Parts: sequence; C-alpha cells; structure tokens
Amino acid sequence: MHRQLSKFLILLLSLFLLGNTPTPDPNITHPYETTAFRQLVMYQGPGYTHLQADILNPGLPIKIIERNHTGNWVRVIRTDGDTIVQDGWVESAYLNQDENLKYSEIPVNLDIPDHNPENSGEGEWVKELLALPIMPELSDEMVEIYKRGQFLGNHSNVITKVGDSLSVSDKYLTIFAQEDYDLGPYDYLEDTLNYYAESTAEASVAAKIGLSTYVVFDPLWADKEVCQPNESPIDCEYRIKQPSVAFILFGPNDVRSMNEVEYGEQMRMIVETTLERGIIPVVFTFSADPEVELWWQSVNFNVQLIQIAEEYKIPVINLFAATRWMPDYGLDEDGIHLAHSGYFYLKLSNGDEAFYGVTLQNLLALRMLDEIRKTVGIELEENA
Amino acid sequence: MIRVILLFAVMLVIAGCATESASDPADTVVKYMQAKVDGDRETLSSLLCAEMESALNREVNSFSTVDATLENATCERAGNSDTVTCSGAIVADYGGENTEFELTSYRVVQEDGVWKWCGES
Repeated sequence: MHRQLSKFLILLLSLFLLGNTPTPDPNITHPYETTAFRQLVMYQGPGYTHLQADILNPGLPIKIIERNHTGNWVRVIRTDGDTIVQDGWVESAYLNQDENLKYSEIPVNLDIPDHNPENSGEGEWVKELLALPIMPELSDEMVEIYKRGQFLGNHSNVITKVGDSLSVSDKYLTIFAQEDYDLGPYDYLEDTLNYYAESTAEASVAAKIGLSTYVVFDPLWADKEVCQPNESPIDCEYRIKQPSVAFILFGPNDVRSMNEVEYGEQMRMIVETTLERGIIPVVFTFSADPEVELWWQSVNFNVQLIQIAEEYKIPVINLFAATRWMPDYGLDEDGIHLAHSGYFYLKLSNGDEAFYGVTLQNLLALRMLDEIRKTVGIELEENA
Repeated sequence: MIRVILLFAVMLVIAGCATESASDPADTVVKYMQAKVDGDRETLSSLLCAEMESALNREVNSFSTVDATLENATCERAGNSDTVTCSGAIVADYGGENTEFELTSYRVVQEDGVWKWCGES
C-alpha cells in the first residue's frame, strides 16, 4: 500500500513537473525501444540544469519519442499499458543502442532550451553563458556572407579550422576525412560528412601550437613553404583553401597572456577578416575547469564571444555549456586540451560524445555544418 | 689645449661609431628579433617603422604564450638595398614541444637617420 502510494506520488510529481511540455500519446507506435544501462535522472528538458523529473532504473523498457537539435539528448517515456508512468529527458549516451536507432527517424524538439540557467546554481556570468544555445541557427546575414563567398570563388564544400593547439589536433575535424567513420545513430549527418570530408584532410596553416589571437596575424608564424612574404597565417589559409566555413577556437592559450578587452578586440579582427572573404566564421566558446586559477578569466573571455556573436550575427557553438557537466568538463589531464577517446576515426556509435570533449566537439561541428549546408541550400549531387 | 681638442675629437669619433652601429640595418633586424622574442615593447616601438605602428601590440605579443629564444641570428644587408637577409631561427617551446621559426628576409627603412624594421620582404 505504501509502495503504491509512493508510486502514485512520484507519478503525480512527474506530471506536474512536465506540465509545460505536451503529454505524449502512449499508444503511438514509436520507432525505437530501448533501455538505460545505468540508473539515470530524467530531466524536464535536454540538459542537466533542467528540473529533475524522475529516476529511470536500468533495464526498464522505454521509448524514445523526441530528440534535441543534435540527438545527444532524447525524451523517453515508459508505459504501463495505456498509461505513461515515466516521461523525461536523458542523455542518449546512457541508453543501450543498436543499429536500428536512427535519429533521422526521431522527431526533433527545438522548443525547450538546452539549459535552465536559473536552476544551475551558478553565478550571473556563467548563467549568461548557459543561456546561449549550444547549437546556433544560421542567421540571414550569414547566408548572405556565404553567397558573397561563392561570388568571390570560395568552395562550398571546403572548410577549415583556425586556432591554437586545440585546433591543430588531427583528431579534431581532420578525422572527418577518414573513410571508416561510424556515425551510429547520427545517420542524418552522413550526407553532410561526405560533402565536407575531403577538405579536412589537409592541415590548416592557421592552426598551430602556441598560436594566439595576436599571432594569427603575424607573418612570422606563417608556413614559409606555402605562404607569401608578409602574409599572416589566417590570410594565407584563406587564400590557399578559399573555404566557405572556418571553425575558430581561441581562448585556452590567450587567457594566459591577455585580458578580456584585448581578447575581444582580436577576436573581432579575426571575425571581420573572415567575413570580408565571404567565409562563415563558426566560433566555439571553450571549456574551462572552475577549480583552476584562470577560471573567471575564461568565463570573461567566453562572455566576450557571446557579445561578438550578437554584434556580427555569427554562429557560436557553445562548447562551454555543452561540456559543463561532462566528466572533467570534457578536458584532458592537463586541464587545457579536450579529452580524446582514442579512436582515430569519427566514431559516434558508443556514446563517447558524453565523455570526451573532442568527440563532442566533432559532433557539434558536424551538426553545425549540417545546419549550414541545409540553410544555404546546398543540394547534393544525387538530389540535384 | 691640444689635449682637449684631441679628447673632443676622439669622443666625436666614438659617438659617431656608436650612432652608425645603432642604425646599422642588419643590426637593427637582429635587435628587433631579440626584442620580439623578449616581448620588449620599448625596443620594438623604437625599431618599428611608422607604417607598421598599428602592428605593435601584435609584435609585442608574438611569443607571449610560449617560451622562445633567438638562436644563431646573423643578418646581412644586400648591397645598398632595403633588404636584410638573416639566418638562424626563433625556437619556441610550448609544453616541451619545440617549434622553429626560421629567420628570413626583411625590409628596412631609414627614418630620421635611423634604420627601422618594416616587415618581411
């Protein structure tokens, strides 16, 4: 009797907490049923700062009914006959998956934000960072930039990366060129991966160990074998490749030697240089460990990026918010570089995106490319 | 009196040599590169040509995130041209990983009688 009463109260609480999301039809035929492989907290939205909805025990049959923009969070329900007994969002990496799970078949819910900053327990500046969506939409201004780039001769299927040692790693973006990829449930990204993959094989002369927002403009740091005299690394890279998209990540290195005003000024120069050439700058916020000395400076730097994104209407992938609740904030042992799974090809079939910063970074970059490709209207050959 | 005149003449010669040395174009480039490695704003500012003044912050911060040393730097002016060609390198150490930046050819200009570094040529 006591157990039944508890169950009823939990159900009542769950229904109350989920009151602002539509109640799913329990009889609907869902494409995928699964189980969790460990006990999970279910949330009211696709992120750890949303209010908790319930506890999901491992092994209980659940149905995936929705996913977030990317698929790394899914809304699941557990039913008892015609009654929904549990309903909430969980990180998809903790669910048992097989080859039948295809996120292309799961409805996308973009109505609920990634985070509920007010429930995060963080200070004002961090709340501001958490309020920024993890995955941005492409603005009309960027579509115009893309068109201008095409007029200037940029290649629609060429991308590049600009940044310090976090960017130079061949595990980041460069592995898109590896043919033995395994996207797992992220099947909807395959066309996009194949469209851009080849362009990632060649190293970027604007991604170098020790590079900062200052020296990306310093010709001394340019590769003399391919760059012209007095040509900076960023100018050289853009001239050589004529990409349509540049993924830009600076901060973990700069934070050691400059203040946020200087950082903001330099990032604006990088963004303007990129826009002038008709290239869409996709900027990452960066992960940081709150236990380290430079934490608040890192937060200040990231806040600068939000302001720059608003000024120029550029897309910012909010890696800071995406990694905030990952183990070690998605960082490697050195607390600077993102952790790597050990796979030398893109592997998204085993939930590594919830544990390794580089895997999540690659997933979000690919998802951003998917957004760009579809928004600017790039049709693939077989569909053209 | 003759001693005083001789002493004055010697001092003039020494001062003349010193000025010539300080404004030697090859020497300017070596000093500039050393100042760049050291992040020495004052020296960089004094040796940077006017048309590149806006790049001063960049030049000061070029190696601010790494430990760098100037190694075996030797420079020579090509005849009476405005080009100075150097050998040697700047070696930057970032977390135990070395990156080498080989010195190249640089443009120099004379401003108010002093040679200034003015980018790569």
